[in-house]
Amino acid sequence: MPPAPSLRRSAAQRLLRLGVSLALLVYFAAVIIAPLSGPPPASELSQVILQPFRPLLGALYLGHGYRFFAPDPGPGHTIRWTIALPDGSTRTGKTPDAESDWPRLMYHRRFMVAEKIAVLVPPPFAPAEAREAAKGDWLPLVKGVASNLLRSTGGTRITLELVEHYLPGPQEIVAGTSGEDLVTPLGTFARREALRK
Amino acid sequence: MTPTDSTRSLPALSRGWFAEWAEAWNTFWFTPADPLPLAVVRICTGLLLTWSCLVWLLDPDAFFGDRGWLAPTDVWRMNDQPWQWSWFFVGAGPNTARVLAGIALVAAVLLTVGLATPLAAIVSLLALVSAANRAPLSTFGLDDTLGMLLIGLAVGPSGARLSLDERLLGAGQGSGAPSVHANVALRILQVHLCVVYFFSGCGKLFGASWWEGTAIWGAAANVQYRTLDLTWLAWHPLVINVLTLVTLFWEVGYVALVWPRLTRRVFLATAVMVHLGIGLAMGMMEFGLAMITANLAFVPAASWRRLLPQFLFPVSSESRTVSS
Repeated sequence: MPPAPSLRRSAAQRLLRLGVSLALLVYFAAVIIAPLSGPPPASELSQVILQPFRPLLGALYLGHGYRFFAPDPGPGHTIRWTIALPDGSTRTGKTPDAESDWPRLMYHRRFMVAEKIAVLVPPPFAPAEAREAAKGDWLPLVKGVASNLLRSTGGTRITLELVEHYLPGPQEIVAGTSGEDLVTPLGTFARREALRK
Repeated sequence: MTPTDSTRSLPALSRGWFAEWAEAWNTFWFTPADPLPLAVVRICTGLLLTWSCLVWLLDPDAFFGDRGWLAPTDVWRMNDQPWQWSWFFVGAGPNTARVLAGIALVAAVLLTVGLATPLAAIVSLLALVSAANRAPLSTFGLDDTLGMLLIGLAVGPSGARLSLDERLLGAGQGSGAPSVHANVALRILQVHLCVVYFFSGCGKLFGASWWEGTAIWGAAANVQYRTLDLTWLAWHPLVINVLTLVTLFWEVGYVALVWPRLTRRVFLATAVMVHLGIGLAMGMMEFGLAMITANLAFVPAASWRRLLPQFLFPVSSESRTVSS
């Protein structure tokens, strides 16, 4: 005798719940392994567990560390630029620029460009070998910035500098003193070089 | 151990323990819930994504073009390729970038008003993922949070309430009734948000300035973030300490204390204050609003019914909810 419809429904429902439960476990395993495995420091174990989850994390844009303002809020960065225009004049500016980047979300998206490149660029006082080794990471990105600025301004040549803005302590504000911004040259790029990359 | 427990064998005790876990799991994930909170989250998320799309469309070449901030050939330097796909990889020409960003905008608007919502939610998610994976130099917490929200909205019946779908399809569809489907989506959002706060809080525990109670100063004094001058805090170090430590304890404790009814209101109210503070003082209003939107998943349907104007609820759908 075939099972009653209610029993069949109940079995199908159980199977569905089992499937959904497994999917949820996989999803949250991925959600949790992403911040466990990066940014550093992270365990070797988390790196091993991460591997099978990489397709899911990448496909759903879930590979985040969620370290908002951590471990410590640091100084802000801007990219300062000087552009030579075809008529021989020059134009200076910075990215981001609170005066001209509107709306604020546009400012913030451009601010992220400077912040993410700043993470890769060692300060000018770092050992020469370390600065040279890091170039392979940041130079292609800086050339992209150069290319975009030359495109949007119609310039022929651009010089870029990374500025780390001094973050004054409360005592300095009270005393009315401050420190110097840290400036790191990023290079000068002709239009052709920036495009070639 | 109760006297009854002591008389039971270990396998029997284990079976009981596993059964309790299974029951708790079933109750947590598979109890029908009203889709109304999901609808509120949908509208807020849709508005934020619409705004984000408009900003992308102000300069699509810079974000998605072949001569933008990040050339297509360099995306792999910032992403985990080939997994971080993007529909913007199809073409990097100016027209392609505009059309694809335009599709994202249409999907976001449809999601907001709740028209063809299941499809709009999926396309919105694909659009957000595509944009974020194509322009990783320009992404930040807003994109992470929108991604999280859109997954929940794509999974659940987010157009069942407060939507054009509900109005156009009529009340006879039964889609606005409490459902397991809605509960799964809301739980996904709630648990994911707890994961976000937990790791964000743990990350802060690495930092000396969070332990010293001075981290908020580091955020307030950063001119690149600042939209509200809070340097007067320099004369009030104890206020800086209080703001820093409250933020830290709230974030670390959220994962546990947002669930009990007694502490939930305190944690949700603190979330609103913290994120509005970040939005107003640090110029990241969109990120602040996205995080507040995620917190709305914890506000019960009964509260929304009291808070929202009654004309938003078709009579037939209300009676359906009450009867179910």
